Amino acid sequence: MMNLEEKKKSGLELFLYWGLPILAILLVVGGWLWFAISNPRLMPNPLQVYERLIRTFTRPVAKVNLFGHAFASLGRVLMALVFAWVIGIVLGILIGWSRVCKAVIGTIFEIIRPIPPIAWIPIVIMWFGIEEFPKVLLVFIGTFVPLVINTAAGIGLVDKINIDVGKIFGGNRFQILAQIVIPTALPSIFAGIRTSVSSGWTTVLAAEMIAAQHGLGALVTRGWQGSDMALVMVAVITIAIIGAFLAFSLNKLEKWVCPWTK
Amino acid sequence: MALDDNALKIKLREWKDKQRRDDLKYLGIGAASLLAFLLFWQMAVKTGLANERTLPAPSAIFETFLDKLTDPDPDGNTLGTNIFASLQVSLSGFFAALVIGIPLGLCMGWWTYADRFLRPIFELIRPVPPIAWIPLVVVWMGVGLKAKALIIFFTTFVPCVINSYTGIRLTNQTLINVSKTFGAKNFEIFHKVGIPSAMPMVFAGVRVALGSSWSTLVAAEMLAASAGLGYMIQYGRNVARADIVIVGMLTIGLVGAFLAAMLQFVEKRFLKWKTTR
Repeated sequence: MMNLEEKKKSGLELFLYWGLPILAILLVVGGWLWFAISNPRLMPNPLQVYERLIRTFTRPVAKVNLFGHAFASLGRVLMALVFAWVIGIVLGILIGWSRVCKAVIGTIFEIIRPIPPIAWIPIVIMWFGIEEFPKVLLVFIGTFVPLVINTAAGIGLVDKINIDVGKIFGGNRFQILAQIVIPTALPSIFAGIRTSVSSGWTTVLAAEMIAAQHGLGALVTRGWQGSDMALVMVAVITIAIIGAFLAFSLNKLEKWVCPWTK
Repeated sequence: MALDDNALKIKLREWKDKQRRDDLKYLGIGAASLLAFLLFWQMAVKTGLANERTLPAPSAIFETFLDKLTDPDPDGNTLGTNIFASLQVSLSGFFAALVIGIPLGLCMGWWTYADRFLRPIFELIRPVPPIAWIPLVVVWMGVGLKAKALIIFFTTFVPCVINSYTGIRLTNQTLINVSKTFGAKNFEIFHKVGIPSAMPMVFAGVRVALGSSWSTLVAAEMLAASAGLGYMIQYGRNVARADIVIVGMLTIGLVGAFLAAMLQFVEKRFLKWKTTR
């Protein structure tokens, strides 16, 4: 690796070091402008997007402003996550800890596991319609699977010696589970939580794009079907910002919950 | 000594036998519980506990599956055609992203200037969930193969770049210093030390990318397509054929699992050196 930071930088190096990122951003903005000007119907320019953003507040879509749509999506994700965290982690511990449970639940889980959450959308709509519950259920499916996988894998990582030590010191099965196995599996469980949040955020968009009144995914579909590309861009940018924020705050939370992982 | 050896061997054989018996026992429990599940499902449908129109019995689903292999009704393609259409799109986007994403990530991790230039562009693409690309790309390029492959490209590209970048950043500094001492050029070190040591991370990224590209493809086909497994399940819902939907879902899962298994096979061949440490 070129350790630029260690060497004293010459004028040219310093110029490149700060000039290149600025050049990159200019290229992106320039590319956007060029694309928007040459194809005004396919791509709105940044100014139009900004105006559309203001208009989501002055003339709300479906009687709800942009924050309302964002909160509708976030609320669905949060509700599904609460259930998925409890049920997914418990199920993961059961599958990872007891071979009987693994044989009974794990076999059925293995069949469901490779089906992407998005592929559940049609059948869930057939079963439960397009109310609030089926959307939360879809997000639940999307968040539940990575949690079970990660929790079970984390439990499997526990060193056999630590369990034996626990046994020698007279711990019963429950104590060993609570005081040795689960703390060891915590980083892996947390990785599952992180995956579940990003997967939930994707699934809620898909569910809303196919059938919803409120939510950011519904905004995307509405703009798309109404040839209102500026609205699509507003929704996509909001989605990206919230997604980035979720990932960032989970990283911070992970450092706080299990500081022993790097 | 010889006696001890024999005793040990006997013990070992006993232990191995017990392991094998345990494995068989749990395999049996697994199979039995799966069978019980299917039987319960079948009974629930036959006794009218579940509605046959929205949840067909396993036997009916199996019949539909066999039927769908040759019969293009109702969505106009046989199951094989649909699988082929989906695979064609997802694999073309997937491989394009591998070819571009991995070298890009490796370069970004190795050369500071490449990082400074490419990082801002990448950070703009990164947080957009793959599904949110669908409407934009469809408006730009229509619903053809190229448009869907581009959506898959974005999906695959992000984890490939991130993992290649992180992988090469984690190269052991000692190895780099040794190569420098032996007079290797920077590019030679990159090629012979950096890339191999990044490979496990790269493969982890590819694995993530494969899963998410397959699920994004299903979404793309559900929103805009005229063939493919995603189209098939969406069409099945529109004509209220739950059996078609469930056959489609299971096929999607099966093909996804098959792709993951293939990748694991390739990974094992590629990373042989890593297991013999």
